Amino acid sequence: MIGKRGKIVLLLYILFLVVLFLMCSTDLIIREPEKEVYQIAVIIEDVRDDNYGNFKKGMDQAAVELNADVRFITLYEKLDGDQQMELILREQQDGADALVVVPADEEQVVGTLAQKQVTVPVILLGSGFTGEGVTGTIVTDYKGMGEAAALRILESVPSGAVVWLFSEPGRQSVMSRLFLEGAGAALDEGKIRYETVVRDGEQGFAEFLSVPERLPEGGVVILAESQETLTETAGILEDSPALRDKVLGLYGRGSSLPILNYLDKGVITGVCVADEFSVGYFSVLMAARASERFDGQKTLTTSSYYIEKKDLRDPAYEKMLYPIE
Amino acid sequence: MRGRTILLLCAACLLLTGCQGGQKEEEKTSIRIGISLYRGDDTFINNIRSILEEKAKEYEREKGIKVTLDIQDAKGSQNTQNNQVERFISLGCDVLCVNPVDRMDASVIIDRAMTAGVPVVFFNRQPVEEDMNRWDQLYYIGVDAKETAVLQGQMVVDLYRRQPEAVDINGDGVVSYVLLEGESSHQDSLIRTEWSIQTLKNGGVPIEKITGGIANWERSQASALMEQWLAAYGDDIELVVSNNDDMALGAIDALERAGVTGVNVVGIDGTTPGLEALENGKMLGTVSANKENYAGAILELAAGCALGQKPPQEYPLTDGTYYWTPQEILIYKDIKENQ
Repeated sequence: MIGKRGKIVLLLYILFLVVLFLMCSTDLIIREPEKEVYQIAVIIEDVRDDNYGNFKKGMDQAAVELNADVRFITLYEKLDGDQQMELILREQQDGADALVVVPADEEQVVGTLAQKQVTVPVILLGSGFTGEGVTGTIVTDYKGMGEAAALRILESVPSGAVVWLFSEPGRQSVMSRLFLEGAGAALDEGKIRYETVVRDGEQGFAEFLSVPERLPEGGVVILAESQETLTETAGILEDSPALRDKVLGLYGRGSSLPILNYLDKGVITGVCVADEFSVGYFSVLMAARASERFDGQKTLTTSSYYIEKKDLRDPAYEKMLYPIE
Repeated sequence: MRGRTILLLCAACLLLTGCQGGQKEEEKTSIRIGISLYRGDDTFINNIRSILEEKAKEYEREKGIKVTLDIQDAKGSQNTQNNQVERFISLGCDVLCVNPVDRMDASVIIDRAMTAGVPVVFFNRQPVEEDMNRWDQLYYIGVDAKETAVLQGQMVVDLYRRQPEAVDINGDGVVSYVLLEGESSHQDSLIRTEWSIQTLKNGGVPIEKITGGIANWERSQASALMEQWLAAYGDDIELVVSNNDDMALGAIDALERAGVTGVNVVGIDGTTPGLEALENGKMLGTVSANKENYAGAILELAAGCALGQKPPQEYPLTDGTYYWTPQEILIYKDIKENQ
């Protein structure tokens, strides 16, 4: 028979056990060591991620290594600067530790960052934007790419040939603008005649190319400003061997899988490429470091290369163009 | 005294438990969906993925709910897919959409999802019924494989009835065909093969199988097989029946390389390259799932699960678990007429 004192002790003991259990279950005593997860949002200028295949592989690789939670966000309308700013502010509000942005409108982004509306670190990709509020930049020399492609055209085409610069209507992305600037400058210097052809109508460039009278007598070379334009033009030439015979060469920029396949088939003559896997990887790395207020390198410049079909099997390019996750 | 002690004890318990679950559940303003694809380079899956991304943006704009899609490619590895599912759960995804690598091996995914209380919407590759019955938060979206196959067979039957010479090219009274099959472990592959051929027989087409092979849904594998068959059987081949468009396109590649014309090729899926081949007259026809509906069903169902809502009424579920996407026949002639 337990006495009154014994009952009190037993009751206190049970109470102690209950309190201990509840404290454990509410992490008051045993705390799981918290592994920090970097919340990073990557906001691009496009509506689709088709041109970001290798970039995303690099980004995913960095996310796994750094324990980062990376959200890849596309716009509703291509190059819609206002919407991109809304998304930047939204992601900041939703707890992003850092942002990686491919500006739809570089002036707008840099202007907004200067107003200090965005308080989290921002890494900009593309050309070398600097300014207050820009934590870091990863620069790809698109102007140099344009020059390289134009120089290769000058080397390979006969005099009297015309270069068509295939371009998208409306406002261009900063990448396309710089690429065309570089190409235009080199073509001017090389004294070769060139004309800008803006995509028009439902059929796009197919409609333009379908008129045989348009093809100059001295021959024509096509230089496409963007990955979409290059892919579209390559598709048209592949479907029309007769047209392909009349075009002396097709050049452009980009390393998406369709572009590399067209290069391999010989439909595209040459392209300028950058190491997009590394850009993806380092953008997340820079963002993660910046979110810790790591004051490291603020500008990273990536190399670009001009490649042709024969270079595709070169181990150095193969590793860069077809990265394995 | 005893009563007071018990009361005190209960109050202490309530106070402490209150610390744990005191936050009131707020209405969600954002959802996160983890999507794992069996192979990102599969054309049909890629089409669905693109539409899914567009649908997510539409949903975001219409409902004002932020939708984050985490899309991962399992690259044909069930192990990779299991790890992706684990990562999705640890990242706090509200719902998972899984296109299983191995439909017979979905139990690991289901176990993890059940433990975490995260609903799963499977699509395109149907897990076995036993697995699907394990939890009421498991769903499947796909097409009725038998219906697909019957429609594929029917388009050849219709053409044969209208114009026998367009199918029996050499006029010997027998339509000699070769068959390109998908993965042997995929339920659709077996059903498509069986019912497509059965429909041809039932429709009175005098068919004779020359040969067949498994090309695992892939264009390059199908192209290689077709090249061999063309070398072995040459002009005897009058019809190519393919379990999907990618393999049909592989066969067309081989036919073009060999300079062979006039062979009828039929596919399934209505992929973008498949439709292009149809427009160019390279392929006789295909059976296309309504991909807008397919991707819409995945997104709406997943979003509903994430928000704790009932399944959407516009996508009625069979047995509370399955949604079958409507399909249609697309043939070269119709495309020409529409143009």
